[in-house]
Amino acid sequence: MPSADRKKAPKASERLRRLLVVVPYLVQHPGTELTEVTRLFGVPEEALVEDLRLLFVSGLPPYGPGDLIDVDMQDGRVWVRMADYFGRPLHLTRSEAIALYVRGAALAAMSDVPEAPALDSALAKLADGLGPETLGELPQRIHAAGGGRSADTLEALRAATAGHEKIRIEYYAASSAATTVREIDPEEILYAIGNWYVVAWDHRSDEERLFRADRVRTVEPTGERFEPRGLAGVGRPLYTRGEADAQVRLLLSPDARWVAEYYETEEQLERPGGSLEVVMPAGRLEWAERLVLRLSGAAEVLGPPQLKDRVLELAGRTRELYG
Amino acid sequence: MQPLERLVNLVALLLDAHRVLTFDDIRERMPEAYEQEDLDTAKRMFERDKGILRDIGVPIEVMATDAWESEQGYAIAKDAYYLPEIAFTPQEISALFVAAHAGREGSSAEEAVRKLLYGAQGGILVGVSGFALATDGVPDARLTAAAEAVAAQRSVRFRYRTSRGVEGERRADAYGLAVRGGSWYLVGLDRDRGEIRSFRLSRVSSDLTDVGEGSVPPEDFRAADHVQVGPWGPGEPQERARVAFSPEVAWWATKGLQGAEVLKERADGWVEVAVPNGPGEGLASWVLSFGPDAVALEPEELRRDVIRRLEATLAVR
Repeated sequence: MPSADRKKAPKASERLRRLLVVVPYLVQHPGTELTEVTRLFGVPEEALVEDLRLLFVSGLPPYGPGDLIDVDMQDGRVWVRMADYFGRPLHLTRSEAIALYVRGAALAAMSDVPEAPALDSALAKLADGLGPETLGELPQRIHAAGGGRSADTLEALRAATAGHEKIRIEYYAASSAATTVREIDPEEILYAIGNWYVVAWDHRSDEERLFRADRVRTVEPTGERFEPRGLAGVGRPLYTRGEADAQVRLLLSPDARWVAEYYETEEQLERPGGSLEVVMPAGRLEWAERLVLRLSGAAEVLGPPQLKDRVLELAGRTRELYG
Repeated sequence: MQPLERLVNLVALLLDAHRVLTFDDIRERMPEAYEQEDLDTAKRMFERDKGILRDIGVPIEVMATDAWESEQGYAIAKDAYYLPEIAFTPQEISALFVAAHAGREGSSAEEAVRKLLYGAQGGILVGVSGFALATDGVPDARLTAAAEAVAAQRSVRFRYRTSRGVEGERRADAYGLAVRGGSWYLVGLDRDRGEIRSFRLSRVSSDLTDVGEGSVPPEDFRAADHVQVGPWGPGEPQERARVAFSPEVAWWATKGLQGAEVLKERADGWVEVAVPNGPGEGLASWVLSFGPDAVALEPEELRRDVIRRLEATLAVR
């Protein structure tokens, strides 16, 4: 094999690892469509076909026609026979089992997820089937502490996202501290820092927006479908800076440092005495006013100048409520 | 012969064999694979292959071929190789699939669930896709390392930055893992402080180093009890407070907050709600986050805290 090819092609050990997982599925599911295998196992079709062609010349000694694995590919489907010893996959490694258990427990902890009950029983079966030598004490020692806000509109949002359906939502926008009605095209659902988000095209502002699912009060179908625009999903920043954005600059005392863990910051600078200076982008200042208000003396506003005045005004109005 | 073909044949041979095979046996049965004339060269290649197989989890054992232990051979222990049969329902397998795909691509959890798919009914996963489930920037490897420490009751050492920004080295006996609002916490016996503490994994700034056997958690231990669960602070709330919310925010403020109960809707549209309250000023801070859209009504202490904080803000004028 020329060395240029070797660089591109995955290593034999990776291909083997994949084969030992894919082949049992194919042995048990004769005639599976290649596209289905590609999706389930995350293998590009070309790589899969290449591996299967090689499997076709493998088998048992003396490697006569009756000893080789029988691989048949026709009309985009695949059959694997004569490979009973590959009829069951390789055992989960300890870290694979632990990673799956931990992920499962995280998802099961979310009460809004319809899969949660099935996940609970699946995890119990997994722990039972793999035995204590794999998962050890873990099943007894992993707990959800709750505290997350439930999003009862999540199901409706998921369905609309999957069906590319335009919806009308009633939404509490923290940025302006007001509940509004708007039409959106939901494209992606994601979960980050304790909340579910919907990535959508917002027809009210004619912009891409991120909506927190727990702040969606109602979801009303419009019956209209939309063409996805390919908005970014997982891994995207939770806040996309707009051109008109102000920069909120705060000096957080140690008691207020948690802010930097819960909000998207553009800059973090360590300051004497354990303080942290942060810069956060803000399209509107309402949320920043309320954040500073709750932090009371633990945060100092460094900018913009009008934020200081607005916090004072807000504090005055709030103080009046207490007579 | 391509390396992959040689490896597949070697696994097939050892899985199909009913006895321990010596290297000579293997070489005789796979002449094209280890064809080198020089025995040492052939043996080196075989050793390399054996290493690759072990790396991906194939349990090749070296053992004596007979009771007299005159010769060494190789075998794959079938019960260690094959995944035990676990009968998942279609709902269970698709739930696992969703959970495993709820993160970045290429995780070990995905690898794991792929292995479990072989027994699933074909086609049940059509249209099933994962959520994007981002944890708070904790690398998979660190979460797995913490889980492994908990699974085996190990003691670990790591660097940790507190929520107040103080960094230092910690040593803890791993007791449990808690997840709250998308954040993972390792809960364990802090060896320097002699008490159970929770460590948010996103604040761990080093690898977790295994430093030996840990201790056994108390019988009634629950990891979640050591992690703050709501605006009222850690553990179970001790009392309830009464807070009124404006019509604008009431629906959102109370929805999904554990233990919150709507008491009444007033004529002016404001909604009075009972919410759990604990020691500390967590609740006062939370009430203030609603600005003039929330008023603390009871207890008097909560009202005082809120007013004092507002006065402090106004005093800066």
